[in-house]
Amino acid sequence: MRIVVAEDLYLLRDGMVRLIEACGHQVVATAATGPETLEALRTWRPDVSVIDVRMPPNQSDEGLRAALAARSEMPGLPVLILSQHVEQLYARELLADGSGGVGYLLKESVFDADQFLDALERVAAGGTAMDPAVIAKLLSTGSPNQSLDRLTEREHSVLALMAEGLSNQAIGHRLFLSEGTISKYTTSLFAKLGLTDDDNSNRRVRAVLAYLNKP
Amino acid sequence: MRQLGSRWAGAAVGFIRACVVGFLRACVVVVVSMLVPAVWAAAVGLGIWWGAGNPWSWVAPCVLVTVGALTLSRPVCQLVRFLVARWTATAIPAGYRQAGPVTRMSTGYWWNGFSYERTSRDALLDQKWRLRWRDPANWRDLRFTAVVPLTAGVVAALPPAGVAAAVLGLGRPEPVARVVGALGLVLAVASAPYAWRPLRPVAVRFLRPSPAMELADRVDELTAQRADTTIAQAAEIRRIERDLHDGAQARLVALGLALATAEKLMRTDPDQARELLREARAGAAASLAEMRELVRGISPPVLNERGLVDAVRALALDSPLDVAVTADAPLHLDPPIESAVYFGVAELLTNAVRHAQASRARICLTRDEAGLVAEVEDDGRGGADIRSGGGLDGLRRRLAVFDGTVEITSPSGGPTRVTMAVPCESS
Repeated sequence: MRIVVAEDLYLLRDGMVRLIEACGHQVVATAATGPETLEALRTWRPDVSVIDVRMPPNQSDEGLRAALAARSEMPGLPVLILSQHVEQLYARELLADGSGGVGYLLKESVFDADQFLDALERVAAGGTAMDPAVIAKLLSTGSPNQSLDRLTEREHSVLALMAEGLSNQAIGHRLFLSEGTISKYTTSLFAKLGLTDDDNSNRRVRAVLAYLNKP
Repeated sequence: MRQLGSRWAGAAVGFIRACVVGFLRACVVVVVSMLVPAVWAAAVGLGIWWGAGNPWSWVAPCVLVTVGALTLSRPVCQLVRFLVARWTATAIPAGYRQAGPVTRMSTGYWWNGFSYERTSRDALLDQKWRLRWRDPANWRDLRFTAVVPLTAGVVAALPPAGVAAAVLGLGRPEPVARVVGALGLVLAVASAPYAWRPLRPVAVRFLRPSPAMELADRVDELTAQRADTTIAQAAEIRRIERDLHDGAQARLVALGLALATAEKLMRTDPDQARELLREARAGAAASLAEMRELVRGISPPVLNERGLVDAVRALALDSPLDVAVTADAPLHLDPPIESAVYFGVAELLTNAVRHAQASRARICLTRDEAGLVAEVEDDGRGGADIRSGGGLDGLRRRLAVFDGTVEITSPSGGPTRVTMAVPCESS
C-alpha cells in the first residue's frame, strides 16, 4: 500500500515509517504540519494515511481538519487518525459523511504492530477502525435512537465490536462464537436497523453511524 | 352625593392617619437625632452649673462630650439605618469591619488577625476592641451624628414644636399668644406627614460606606482570594506530583526493569524474555492511560484544540445524561477563564448525575456586553446549596478569582439551575 504519514514529533514519525516499511508497505510522503498534510494527501491520494490530530502551526486540531478537508474534496479517502486522547466529538465528525474508510485510534495502538497493520488495512479497504474507548463511551452514554432499543444484548455487543471495525471472524474470536453465528446476529441487527443488503462494508459503516445516532 | 361624601370621609381619615403616623415618626427622629446634642447640652449645663470661672470645672464636661459622642455614634447610626429600612424599605449597607476567625496556632497562642493572645477569650476581646476603634466607619458615624441634628433633626422638630406652641399659646388669654398658638397648630398639622421624610436622603447620603471603606473591603476580599488561590495551586501541584510519582514514574521504573531482565534472559530463556517484553508493552500502555487521565485533569486536550464550546460539547457527549448544548458563535476567551468555566460545567454535570439523579441537562453558553454567562440546568431533584467547603463553594471561589459569580436556584424537587457569570472583554 502507498501510505502518507503525518506526525509532528520526529521520533514518532520515524518510528511509524520504520514500522510500516518493515511490514512491506511504502511510505510515499511524510508531513509535519497541517497544511503539509493536506498538500501531501492532495498530491499522492494515498491508499491510506496515518495522521496525528495535533500538529503545528497552532498545535490545535490541524491534523484532523486537514483530514476532514481532504475527505470533503476526495470522498472516501481512507484516513487513520492517531491521537493521545480520543473524543466522541471527533469520532462523530469523522464518521459524519458516512462513506467509510475511517479510523480513529489512540497512539499506543501502534504497540501491537499486527493489530495496527490490521486496522490500516481495514481502513484502506473502506472499513472502520474505532478505538474501543470511544465505543465504550458510546455504550455507556446510551443512545436515544429508537431502533437500537430493539436489539438484544448479544446483538448489542456484536454491534459494539463491529463499530470498532472488526470482521465477523474477529468478532467471533472475541465472543468465543463461530463466524456463522456472528453472521446470523449481524443479519438480524442489520434488519432491525433497517439497513438494506447492498455493499457489505458500507453497511457495517452505516451500522456504526446508527450507533452514533446519525441515521 | 353620598358617594362623594364617603370619598371625602375616606380622604380625611387617610390624612389624619398620615398626620398621626408622621407626627410619631417625627418625634422618634427628633429623639434619635438629638441624643448626642442632648449629651453635649447636658455637658455644657454641667460646666455652667459648676461655675464658668473655674477652668478645672470644664474637664468633666469635655470628657463627657468625647465619650458620649464616641459611644453613642454607632448605636445612633444603627438605629437610623433600622428606621430607614423599616419605614422606606431602603437598605443602607453598614460596611463595618467584620471579625476574622480566631485560630489557635501551633505555639498554643491565639491569633485574632491583629495580635497573639494567651487565651481565646483575650484574643476575642482584643479583636473586638481593635475592630471597634480602628474601623474607618467610626469617622463616618461621627460625621453623621453631627450632620443629622442640623438637617433631618431640625425639620422633624417642626410638628412637635408646633404642637408645643399650640398647647402653650392657646391656653393663654392674650390674643398674640393665641394667634401664635393657632399658627403653631396649623404648622404642626401641615408638616406632620412630611417632616420625618428628610431622614432618608440624609441617611443615604451620609451613612453609606465611604470610598475608603469600600476599598478596604475590596482589599480584604482580594487578600482572602489570593490566599485561596495559592492554597489551591499548591494542593494541585502536590496532587500532580503524587500522581506522577506513584503512577507514571513508578511504571517507567518497572518498564526499565522488565526490559533489563528481558535483555539478560534473551539468550538463556527466550520464552520468558518474550513474556517480559509483552508485560513491558502492557505497562507502557497502562502508564499512557494514566498520563492521559492526569492531563485531562490539568488541562483537557480538547479544550486546547477546539476551545470552550467544543470542549463543552465533548463533555456533554461523554456524560451519561442527555445533554443539550447551545452556544453563541465561537467564543474567544482567555485560557484561564476558559479552563475555569470548563471545569465548572464539568463539576455541575457530575453533580447532576451524582447528587441530583437527573436524566437530562441543558447547557447554555452566551456572551453579553459584561462577559461570559454559562448556564447549566438539570431536571434532577434539586436542593443544592452553597455549603461552606462544599463543591459549589469551591466553584464559587475559583470563579471569584476572575470576579466571576455563581448563582444557584435549586428548589427541593428540582429543577436545579446554576448560572456562572465571568466578566471579560469582548473580542
